[in-house]
Amino acid sequence: MVLYIPSDSLLHRLHPSTKIVGLALLLILTVAFQSPWYQLVILSGVLLLARSAGAFRNLRRILPLMITVLVFSVVSWSLFRRVGDPFWSFGLFTLSAESIRFGFAMGFRLEAMLVSGMVFVSCTKVEEFAYGLRSIGLPFAVSFALSLAFRLVPLFFTRIGTVVQAQQARGLDLKSGNVLQRARKYVPLLVPIFVYAIRDTDLLSMALESKGFGMRGRRTEYLSFPFVWRDYAILGLLLILNIAGWLMPVP
Amino acid sequence: MNLPILTLSDLAFTYRDAPKPALDQINYRHRRGEFTVIVGETGAGKSTLCRCLNGLIPSFTKGRLDGSLRVSGHRESERPHVYELARIVGLVFQDFEAQLFSTNVELETAFALENFAVDPDQMKTRVEQALNRVGLSGFEQRDPSSLSGGEKQRLAIASVLAGSPSLVVMDEPTTDLDPVGKRGIFRLAQDMRNEIEGIILVEHETEHVLSADRILLMHEGRIVQEGPPGEILADPRKVERHGVRPLQTTVLLSELGLETDALTIQDAAARIRSAGWQVRPSAQESLDGTCRREPPHEPRQSVVRVENLVYRYGEAPPAVDGVSLDIAAGEFVALVGQNGCGKTTLAKHLNGLHAPTEGEVRVLGRSTFDWTLPELGRRVGYVFQNPDHQIFANTVRDEVAFGARNYGFSEEEAGEKVDAALAETGLSGRDLEDPFNLTRGERQQLAVASVLATDPEILVLDEPTTGLDYHGQVAILDLVRRLNESGRTVVMITHSMWVVAEYADRCVIMSGGRVVQDADVRTCFSNPALLESLYLEAPEAVRLGYEFGLVARSVGEIAGCLERMEE
Repeated sequence: MVLYIPSDSLLHRLHPSTKIVGLALLLILTVAFQSPWYQLVILSGVLLLARSAGAFRNLRRILPLMITVLVFSVVSWSLFRRVGDPFWSFGLFTLSAESIRFGFAMGFRLEAMLVSGMVFVSCTKVEEFAYGLRSIGLPFAVSFALSLAFRLVPLFFTRIGTVVQAQQARGLDLKSGNVLQRARKYVPLLVPIFVYAIRDTDLLSMALESKGFGMRGRRTEYLSFPFVWRDYAILGLLLILNIAGWLMPVP
Repeated sequence: MNLPILTLSDLAFTYRDAPKPALDQINYRHRRGEFTVIVGETGAGKSTLCRCLNGLIPSFTKGRLDGSLRVSGHRESERPHVYELARIVGLVFQDFEAQLFSTNVELETAFALENFAVDPDQMKTRVEQALNRVGLSGFEQRDPSSLSGGEKQRLAIASVLAGSPSLVVMDEPTTDLDPVGKRGIFRLAQDMRNEIEGIILVEHETEHVLSADRILLMHEGRIVQEGPPGEILADPRKVERHGVRPLQTTVLLSELGLETDALTIQDAAARIRSAGWQVRPSAQESLDGTCRREPPHEPRQSVVRVENLVYRYGEAPPAVDGVSLDIAAGEFVALVGQNGCGKTTLAKHLNGLHAPTEGEVRVLGRSTFDWTLPELGRRVGYVFQNPDHQIFANTVRDEVAFGARNYGFSEEEAGEKVDAALAETGLSGRDLEDPFNLTRGERQQLAVASVLATDPEILVLDEPTTGLDYHGQVAILDLVRRLNESGRTVVMITHSMWVVAEYADRCVIMSGGRVVQDADVRTCFSNPALLESLYLEAPEAVRLGYEFGLVARSVGEIAGCLERMEE
């Protein structure tokens, strides 16, 4: 994917379906706890994973987002959630030890989810993601549509950019006028874009058919990933943590 | 015994709802090991024929198919399905963007193999061989969108080759490529002929197809002539009548009244010499002295001045890297260079679509920073490469009036300007036609008309001849020449070196974001070594001139320099 960081780390070498299922298990695990301390442990855990996968480069990119999420959830949950004995209140706002605890727990949980997602995209290529989806049972068409989107979406935006420029060069001004006038100005953009989309789709289907796509019967895979001990180990560990987490009385 | 691998008998096809057949009475046998080239004007049925060969017609595109198509290795059936034929006949399309759908090169090559359920162990070697064949070894993990046009098309060929088809059919694979990309594809087709059982190639540029075994000339859905290149291409008038640019060797021979069947430059030159023709004394001096016409304005009046222009897309290395350029009123400037060398980026500064990262662009004496975008757009008409990127109106007239109305001309004034633009582009009287019913060539003229209606002083055209047959190309180029002669300054981006030689006054060559050569056209062509080093090549007519020690821009100029020795 766009944020993929090439590396040979343990996480990178996992089987694609382990990565997908592992991500799901991690996300479920974060929901199991209400305590900020437990959430902090999970967050530290996924940060360690991020470190080992070399994903800090990507985390740095979303650092402003991460800080905003943390500050915003701590502040708003602490102020708005009415639990326990408030030791301070002002109009709608109240503060209690419980609401502050809760605010931190939510903040850490969202951070842990963000970081897990980032670790996933940093160590999974598009083709691995598609392969992983197939190997956990999704039909080929779904995984193919996904990987095709990764190729076509940027292409489509390039085409749109060209159409916009071609009309701007003829004096199309999208900025002035009221809403209705402005809406009408999109006609000169939409017609060529549709013509292009239809033409591209037609060509693409022809090219696909010419490569035997949609042929009935068996299909083989070029890629192959061995499912080995480390996959069992990781999934087993995450499963045990989940069971323990969900069976434990809510702390 | 050489059995045909493909036999077409009385093949005919009519698209659903079409009034007349797109293909009619096609009879053809392709023998093992042959390299056949199909030529013909737009609408002759070349693409339709290609699509019949791998079964896309009639299983994907519906219509009425008659006659029979037999491919060896495939059991005959009434209507072979594309899945069955595609394994034997591989098809490469013109548009390299729409035929790549994977996220890396290796998977793209393996895609067909996966669908055909080839054994995974075998796949690895076949993918490796195919990539090696097209010179893309080492690119396995690259994202196809990061490849150049030429590389994308070679990848498309690799993905067909990996399926080891008996016959590879390529439908104008080089149309959208720059000269380097083009040459790569022709060389590949050349080399492949010994390895697969047959190649069929649709191509416009006759010069590149001399090594074919056979040429099919198509016209209105029929094969009107079939034979070796020496037979089909030797008649320049006939070739031209069918929308194909004739070999310049044959044009010169026919102009001198000689037999025209010497196709290569060396053969033609030898024939001309042995017939007693030689170069007039001081012919080159008189060529150097002739300008196509008088310098437009005296004194020279600068309309575009680019100073130390640098432009960056985001954080990428600069696309334009320190360009300075001064264009005078009335000049016809050709802007050439490989794909990605910065031509289009530079051109888009002239009408303000891009603003300089560093440096300055002055248009008509004023910096582009000081122009408003609409005002600048009115004075600098920009014609995009593909007319279909902008056509949207229901009638030709509305399409042309779009710009004029946007720029706030009164309805009456706009009407006059539209009439004038239609007249100049030869579209008068077709005001109420639906633009989508025009031919591709006419749509290109319509795009020019819609720019003319705002009465610009400067015209910028981005590869206006791409995708047109020879008639279409000449029509648009002659139009641009007339517009230039009526006083407009023209800046034209092009990959066709013959267009540069025959139409432009001045040639600006770019490479890696910089201007590496800026001189009048004849001077540019007087240095073949420099062109070679920039992966450009002088066009056929110019190279024919070299044989006589001349730097001539066209066959007409060469003919004017030759005289027949007295016996």
